[in-house]
Amino acid sequence: MAAVKQTVEHVESLEKYKHGFVTDIEQDFAPKGLSPDIVRFISAKKNEPAWMLEYRLDAYERWLAMDEPEWAKVYFPRIDYQDSYYYAAPKEKVGPASLDEVDPDILATYAKLGIPLREQEVLAGVKGAPRYAVDAVFDSVSVVTTFKKELAEAGVIFCSMSEAIREHPELVKKYLSSVVPVSDNYYACLNAAVFSDGSFVYVPPGVRCPMELSTYFRINAENSGQFERTLIIADKGSYVSYLEGCTAPMRDENQLHAAVVELIILDDAEIKYSTVQNWYPGDPETGKGGIYNFVTKRADCRGDRAKVSWTQVETGSAITWKYPSCILRGESSVGEFYSIAITNGRQQADTGTKMIHLGANTRSRIISKGISAGRSSNTYRGLVSAHPKAKGARNFTQCDSLLIGKTCAAHTVPYVEARNGQCVFEHEATTTKLSEDQLFYAMQRGLSQEEAVQLLVNGFVKDVLQELPMEFAVEAQKLVAISLEGSVG
Amino acid sequence: MSLATALKANDVTQLPSKRDEDWKWTDLRGLLRVLPPPSEPFAGEAPVGPFASLANLPIHVVNASDPFVIRSASVEPYVVALHFAALGGGSHSASAQVEVADGGHLILLESYEGDGADYVANLDLKITVGAKARLERIVLAADGAEGVSVSIAEVTLGAEAQFAQTVLTDGARRQRIETRVAHPGAGAAVRLDGAYLLAGKRHADLTTVVEHLGVDGTTSQLTKGVVRDQSRGVFQGRIVVAEGADRTDARMGHHALILSDKAEVDAKPELLIFADDVQCAHGNTIGAFDQDALFYAQQRGMPEEVARALLTEAFVGEVIDRIEHEGAREAARLWAAKGLGL
Repeated sequence: MAAVKQTVEHVESLEKYKHGFVTDIEQDFAPKGLSPDIVRFISAKKNEPAWMLEYRLDAYERWLAMDEPEWAKVYFPRIDYQDSYYYAAPKEKVGPASLDEVDPDILATYAKLGIPLREQEVLAGVKGAPRYAVDAVFDSVSVVTTFKKELAEAGVIFCSMSEAIREHPELVKKYLSSVVPVSDNYYACLNAAVFSDGSFVYVPPGVRCPMELSTYFRINAENSGQFERTLIIADKGSYVSYLEGCTAPMRDENQLHAAVVELIILDDAEIKYSTVQNWYPGDPETGKGGIYNFVTKRADCRGDRAKVSWTQVETGSAITWKYPSCILRGESSVGEFYSIAITNGRQQADTGTKMIHLGANTRSRIISKGISAGRSSNTYRGLVSAHPKAKGARNFTQCDSLLIGKTCAAHTVPYVEARNGQCVFEHEATTTKLSEDQLFYAMQRGLSQEEAVQLLVNGFVKDVLQELPMEFAVEAQKLVAISLEGSVG
Repeated sequence: MSLATALKANDVTQLPSKRDEDWKWTDLRGLLRVLPPPSEPFAGEAPVGPFASLANLPIHVVNASDPFVIRSASVEPYVVALHFAALGGGSHSASAQVEVADGGHLILLESYEGDGADYVANLDLKITVGAKARLERIVLAADGAEGVSVSIAEVTLGAEAQFAQTVLTDGARRQRIETRVAHPGAGAAVRLDGAYLLAGKRHADLTTVVEHLGVDGTTSQLTKGVVRDQSRGVFQGRIVVAEGADRTDARMGHHALILSDKAEVDAKPELLIFADDVQCAHGNTIGAFDQDALFYAQQRGMPEEVARALLTEAFVGEVIDRIEHEGAREAARLWAAKGLGL
């Protein structure tokens, strides 16, 4: 009964997109448009060394020569890349020395979003409440990173990307773009040229990161894109769990979010990367506005017995184009992908994963749950491949799609490439609507139709929700409820 | 982009390449630098093919032919054997139409044969099956090891029509057997099966597209493959359920055994669903022999070789058992036994 009660409570708290407010703060903008000068401007704004500027300009040159990918099942008008701001930052005289110096408006925004930026607030909470360090990115810059001292004692580096470029250039130089090459794809290349901030994590050998790390991304400024870059390195035998959340105001125009996330996992290390994506999905009736979420995420299991686990809850964005992937290079390395993708209104999602088995005895597991409602379209697209050297590779894939309503669409497009005789790949997929019998049963027990749908959906996505860290699981469950609001009846 | 248009225009740039999503694993552009000239008319005794003795009407074509039409209104099962032979080099084009009238019942036993020459063969079939009509199509492809062959069948089904197909192939240098089925009529039933047994450097691509456009349609699909040596098997299956095609029930299965370290299997089982009142599922497994089954058989006193042969035969046998026409089923069994070296 506990689960039912919880669901009922969540249904009660249903509301429209609640992060759609705008924070009115003074902002620093780069001029609209994209040119080598804008790239130089961003680099200069961040006080970057010459090698970084060179890297960006090189990426910009390559980007000019590339074409936008068109193979995904998403449809949108051509993006005018000259009609967007590539840099927007909260105005400030000097960098904040402590949290107290951060613009209180920004802090209020994060408080509205429910992010415990102030350590003391977290600490003042219930005794034994989980603590996690937060890096908050507001439009183009990281405004604050918490718990730095405590992390430093453990040897963990957790800071904004621009800080890492200044303070730890040797690590950044060594690993940046080593997983997602500069010209990997159109959006990743654009990101390399104009990325403004993001998070950087380095966990030294043998260290188990003492707390969950987390980043909140917020797009606030109008007509601006967000291009953040995250780089996480788990050195030999280390472990880190990283959470990522994102929101944006409700606006009539589309905004671009083109991020790149690179994970590097060495021998016996493990990274658990969880995302709750709740960008503004656009108006459900007209499809106006909303975020274009074109993200490249890739993990490289370089060491033997390395492990990476992607968990994502995708509820927002007008368009999602995202395939968190695992390169299983080290022997006996493990890749996991757990995903819930929910589309409602006029949202379009084309998301999935790639499991590239290169090393012997590598294993991977994909659990994907797609739910489409309204007039939306939801596509799972995934690749599982085994290189001739990946003897003993194993994969299990399960993709289930649930359709709610007559006008939505759910697609499953898996690619399987087996190039040796000692691998075992299994894949199963189903597409159905909510079972009438189950709905009837739940309603006959006294639940309203919406509550009954909620209950069944919660059961449908349970396999993935239980992979999320505790504090995210609750938030994610609520999000599932909000996203499907108004999809029945 | 197709082999037919490329041959017609004699233009290699019109060949499908790996940049075309539907041809990414069967690259013709990268394989053929030049297109061979159209083949000369064949003079000599034409082979009649493996199904001639089973048929009411045997038809055979050597190399190329002008378009021709087969029409059947017979309510009793009527058997047509259609044999296409590729003898000698050059490019061979053939096309035919098959029409089954409302309420008719046709069995189409199709076979391909190729010699050792490096030919390029293209076959286009247009098949219409009328309301409440039945068609069972068996394709037995025995192309030459140096041949490049593409066969594309477009099938349109009337209301409550039944279409059953089994494709059996041992591949070619590059081979694609594509079937596109549309059922705009309500209540159509489709069975689309296939088996590929590949060795050497052979390549076989079984591609199917089923579009459910009417209500109450069913599709049952089972493809199995065994690849050895340096061969490559490709399976692409797409099931589309259009908006309003309610109560569709579609199942797709593809299972492949890789018996060598240099062989390869690529699969893309796709579901594109635009209606909500549907039951659709696909399963796909690719891998080595089940070691437990092998151990069990050996532990019962069977030598390893025999155990392997028996397990492989049983694996492929599931597809062959679903063939309805008895004579064709027996021919398929012989084909499998030969292909598996039993």
